[in-house]
Amino acid sequence: MKKQLLHTEILEDSTLWNSLKEGNENAFSILFKRHYSHLVRYGNSFLPFPEKVQDCVQDVFTDIWIYRDKLSDKVVVKAYLLACVRKRITRSQERDRIFRLSTSIDTVEFLFDFSIEHNLISDETTASKVSHLNHLINDLPSRQKEALYLRYSQELTVDQIADTLDINYQSANNLLHRALLSLRKEWKGNIFLILVLFSFAF
Amino acid sequence: MQHRNNYTEIEHFLADESFRLWVCFKDDQQEWEEWTLENSSRAKLVEEARLWLLAMKVPADKLAADDVQHALEATWEKIERAEENKKDTEKPVLKLLRKKWFNGVAAVLILSLLSGWLYNQSTSSENSALSYSELINENEEGLVEQTNNSDKPQIITLSDGSSVLLQPNSKLSYPKIFVGNERKVYLSGEGFFEISKDPKKPFFVFANEIVTKVVGTSFKIKAYANQPNVEVVVRTGKVKVRSNELISNTKDELIVLLPNQALRFVRKNLSFNKITDITQDESLSRSTSNIEQLGFEFTDIPVAQIFKTIEQAYLVKIDFPQTKLKDCYLTTSLSDQPLPEKLKIICKSLGNNTSYEMNGNQIIIISDGCN
Repeated sequence: MKKQLLHTEILEDSTLWNSLKEGNENAFSILFKRHYSHLVRYGNSFLPFPEKVQDCVQDVFTDIWIYRDKLSDKVVVKAYLLACVRKRITRSQERDRIFRLSTSIDTVEFLFDFSIEHNLISDETTASKVSHLNHLINDLPSRQKEALYLRYSQELTVDQIADTLDINYQSANNLLHRALLSLRKEWKGNIFLILVLFSFAF
Repeated sequence: MQHRNNYTEIEHFLADESFRLWVCFKDDQQEWEEWTLENSSRAKLVEEARLWLLAMKVPADKLAADDVQHALEATWEKIERAEENKKDTEKPVLKLLRKKWFNGVAAVLILSLLSGWLYNQSTSSENSALSYSELINENEEGLVEQTNNSDKPQIITLSDGSSVLLQPNSKLSYPKIFVGNERKVYLSGEGFFEISKDPKKPFFVFANEIVTKVVGTSFKIKAYANQPNVEVVVRTGKVKVRSNELISNTKDELIVLLPNQALRFVRKNLSFNKITDITQDESLSRSTSNIEQLGFEFTDIPVAQIFKTIEQAYLVKIDFPQTKLKDCYLTTSLSDQPLPEKLKIICKSLGNNTSYEMNGNQIIIISDGCN
């Protein structure tokens, strides 16, 4: 007769979140380790100072622990964390701006650039198409680029993107839609151009 | 999500996780390859979506595990500091607001604070090293004292189910039953603590100049009156150490320790030394006792062998019905549990008809076999 017990399993974010709210330090640590890297990366796309970004992300976690009694239990943890990091960085930027009396009044800007999956591309035609598309994506307005990043790299839903960017659902939807629309327009034109160039070459 | 046969836009594909897996990791569980080839207009759309994915790579710049660990420690320290601040600012204001007669009280308060401070100053300048007996005298509740004069470690079980393995020439004072919102014990010498989890009642070990606070974890403290250092070594969980307020009025000296980290308090100059990897420290790695070396992760292990491991770790004697339990195997993790908890888990997994009795160093298992 054999018996299994106390198996360590991979726990869902929401389960961990709830035990964190009850004061479980272990749950806090697991969530921290799970999300820290990508939150820092997201933060780095607003601020070119890695140490400051790490500081902001740590402050977000500090507040979560200290005010754990007041946390809502119906959150998508990842989206919530991304939104917190974004707000924190925006706020720290605003503070700095007051002190530096800088002229810019924009909120933070998403400076991240997508790169190319070179190792999955074997032929030159694909390579040139992909590199062109990559340029087009990286030239999008920063808000649209950020929406694409949240949607397809962080896999958030449109709802969660709206929360993260602090805009309503319709605006978030529009951001994504406009990004894809303008890309497709440019892209279609360029496919045509590439095809024409190719036919000339032969 | 709608069915992929209805996909008409690139974004439908981009949002489909199985599609991304196929393009980026060649993981084709949904048979995308075949599905694409079924229909030529479909193939065109798929090819385009593929190009998009290839052009939208996000570099996987994962931080090293070490860096994340450091960040986690830094965060716990931030939390400590923030919690201290919160306590300091919230409480007095609330109390003062509630009571109108606080003017009179304030004068008394200031006087008593002042005298307390003066007292601290004088005691700290006179004898900087705190002794065990001074600490015991600080505590007015009735305490039980257990001294180990033998040449072998002794196991002590506390009223909350925590266990302490007390080394020779050491003593521990503790209340017979823990009352209130804190659990406090006093140590002189060396002990290995396994604390039962209770976040609402933090557990404090006062050992000479340092105070160690935990909620549920295992660790070792070495605080001999005649040695130059006081040491804390952490096995599991998280431990917070600060200097005793009686010797220093600075509260900010608080150090968070995680597993396999240690702290050495140098008495001569009242300073803390954090050791982030105990295997690198010669004197610490030399002095690990049985219980710290033995693993308590068991996979399909005969229960007799598990009892043997416990006997070695805690230097206890376990009597159990050998023939009845000879075919019983267990898979379990007992690393983070005090001794009574370990026994409870084993008994429970053996079956309802199993129980244990503990009498000093003698443990008796009563069982009809496993189910």
